[in-house]
Amino acid sequence: MKILVLVSQTQDTEAKIQVSSSGDSIDTGGMKWIMNPYDEFAVEEAIQTKEKHGGEVVIISVGPDRVLETIRQALAMGADSAVQIKGDSFAETDSFTVGKVIGGEIKKLGDFDIVFTGMKIIDEESGQVGVQVAEELGIPHVSLVSKVIQVDPAGKKAVCQKEIDGGHVTVEVPLPCLITCPDAMNEPRYASLPGIMKAKKKPLTVVNAEDLNLEELGLSAQALGKEGARVKTTQIKVPEIERKLTIIKGSDEPMVKGEEVERSAEELIKLLREEAKVI
Amino acid sequence: MSNEVWVVADLKIDGSVRKVTFEALSEAGNKVAGKLGGKLCGVLIGSGVSGHAAELGKYGAEKVYVVDNDLLKDFNTEGYTIALSELIKKHEPAVVIGGNTVFGQDYFPRVAARVGAGVTMDAISIDISEQNTLKIERFSHSSKAIPTQVFHQNYPMMTTVRPNSFKAVENPKDPEIVEGGVEINPADIKTKVIELQTKESDRPELTEAERVISGGRGLGSEENFKYIYQLADILGAAAGATRAAVDAGYCPYDMQVGQTGKAVSPNLYIAIAISGSVQHFAGMGSSKVIVAINKDPDAPIFQKCDYGIVGDLFDVLPPFTEKVRSLIAEG
Ligand SMILES: Cc1cc2nc3c(=O)[nH]c(=O)nc-3n(C[C@H](O)[C@H](O)[C@H](O)COP(=O)(O)OP(=O)(O)OC[C@H]3O[C@@H](n4cnc5c(N)ncnc54)[C@H](O)[C@@H]3O)c2cc1C
Repeated sequence: MKILVLVSQTQDTEAKIQVSSSGDSIDTGGMKWIMNPYDEFAVEEAIQTKEKHGGEVVIISVGPDRVLETIRQALAMGADSAVQIKGDSFAETDSFTVGKVIGGEIKKLGDFDIVFTGMKIIDEESGQVGVQVAEELGIPHVSLVSKVIQVDPAGKKAVCQKEIDGGHVTVEVPLPCLITCPDAMNEPRYASLPGIMKAKKKPLTVVNAEDLNLEELGLSAQALGKEGARVKTTQIKVPEIERKLTIIKGSDEPMVKGEEVERSAEELIKLLREEAKVI
Repeated sequence: MSNEVWVVADLKIDGSVRKVTFEALSEAGNKVAGKLGGKLCGVLIGSGVSGHAAELGKYGAEKVYVVDNDLLKDFNTEGYTIALSELIKKHEPAVVIGGNTVFGQDYFPRVAARVGAGVTMDAISIDISEQNTLKIERFSHSSKAIPTQVFHQNYPMMTTVRPNSFKAVENPKDPEIVEGGVEINPADIKTKVIELQTKESDRPELTEAERVISGGRGLGSEENFKYIYQLADILGAAAGATRAAVDAGYCPYDMQVGQTGKAVSPNLYIAIAISGSVQHFAGMGSSKVIVAINKDPDAPIFQKCDYGIVGDLFDVLPPFTEKVRSLIAEG
């Protein structure tokens, strides 16, 4: 099987978020870049699929050279080769364009069976690119797959469980298809030391943004920059919600115990009723 | 291009119209259609859906496009994508809005790619920019940032909106019904639903609820989640959970609140035995009042809640629930 994984690098959102002086972007100065956590599940699912059915896993990642670190991590986990679509301006363009560019490169790779990718990226949180790549490739997609139940390369189909509001559905989708991964569908492995050594020797193809044939992709000449974007971020604010921080504690130790339990319950209800007015 | 503003109805599995549809109609009527000078229209796509047109009219739709087709039964991304894309190509609306439900998240980006539209997801405000284009705000960076995003003059401009972000206000109209006239070829629907498992619940839906009671890993078992359900039922609240609780099998996946799970912003959020991770807060951090019950005084949630009790849930919750019960009974 040929299994592709779309992997992005993201800012680690566990950190404090600061708006840059221009006011329309996040200050990435001191931030750590990591593999998008949802993409880790996608890489793991791809490797498990390969382990079961044989074949190869190809990583595709868009961005400047810092993404090489993320690509190497995926290779060290067990992917076989990678394609970097290299450019600085992709962060400012729209998902439509990125979807077309990735789709265009995938077409050059020849036949494939499945594309896995994370359900969204944790910094931008747009959750569009994967689905839009599927559209560009003209293949079906199944989003938010909590479990890949069966992949049948010979019968050219996959069976997946997908979460929906109020339950879940089991769907059968013909291959090739694209699957987007939430968390918790598997347990992403760590890269082993030998894996890290091997990763250095695995093939990497670099495609430069300047060399893309935009016209062939049906994109305008400005498509790759901020000016050509269908949607532009003009301002970013950091939500500031002041919390009351009224915490009821025990008298001797932090935890309420014994008689204090009843009293703390009463006190909380009083606060919710009289101060917050929510019950 | 017309300057129509469309709101695509988001339907529940039982076929009823989700509240987010009415919220979107109300907000789009005031903030978008009014300013653009365009007609506010509803769109109904599904099987046996024509009857809902009047409901959309109640919230301001002056025209309702209908694609009613047996092939659109159940959860069918491909069918919906075809139906909405064809409608857009035929009638060229300026703006297309949908609900940011699991369903909307699934097919809106796909439709946008098919018709060449710009699209944003999960908007918490919608408006018109100085350039007369759509302007939205949404959460990003695990809900730690709120970008304002402005559309380029490229049509249509598409967005999904977060449930419970706007008020649904009645504004009765007698809508003109337009049959969509969209053909769907059965061969174009390649993904088949083999099994649909749904469960009935009398509790409100998480994303629509005014109150949410959630449990975390500290509940310790599926059995103990009854404490969550009891309190939820007394308060007429929805029941939620953390990923750790879902992962441990204490409750079903669709109760998960957070970055992966549902985004909620109720008036009251009670977090029981939940540590307060960044990812959980990404889904409930904008709640009006946050209450925490946790036995660890150093749990991060105590740094970002309004009220809290440091205590063991098994000590604190039973008397708290009883007292709330009698309070509610007194009225
Ligand atoms: C990409 C990604 C996406 C994620 N998405 C989500 C998401 O959507 N939603 C989500 O919730 N998480 C998500 N997570 C997981 C998240 O990081 C945390 O692991 C999770 O939220 C922790 O859940 P918890 O608070 O229940 O568990 P813990 O962090 O283990 O906290 C349990 C708490 O219970 C308290 N406790 C234990 N026993 C008792 C008792 N008897 N009485 C009172 N208190 C008690 C403990 O003191 C502790 O604070 C995501 C993680 C990643 C990497």
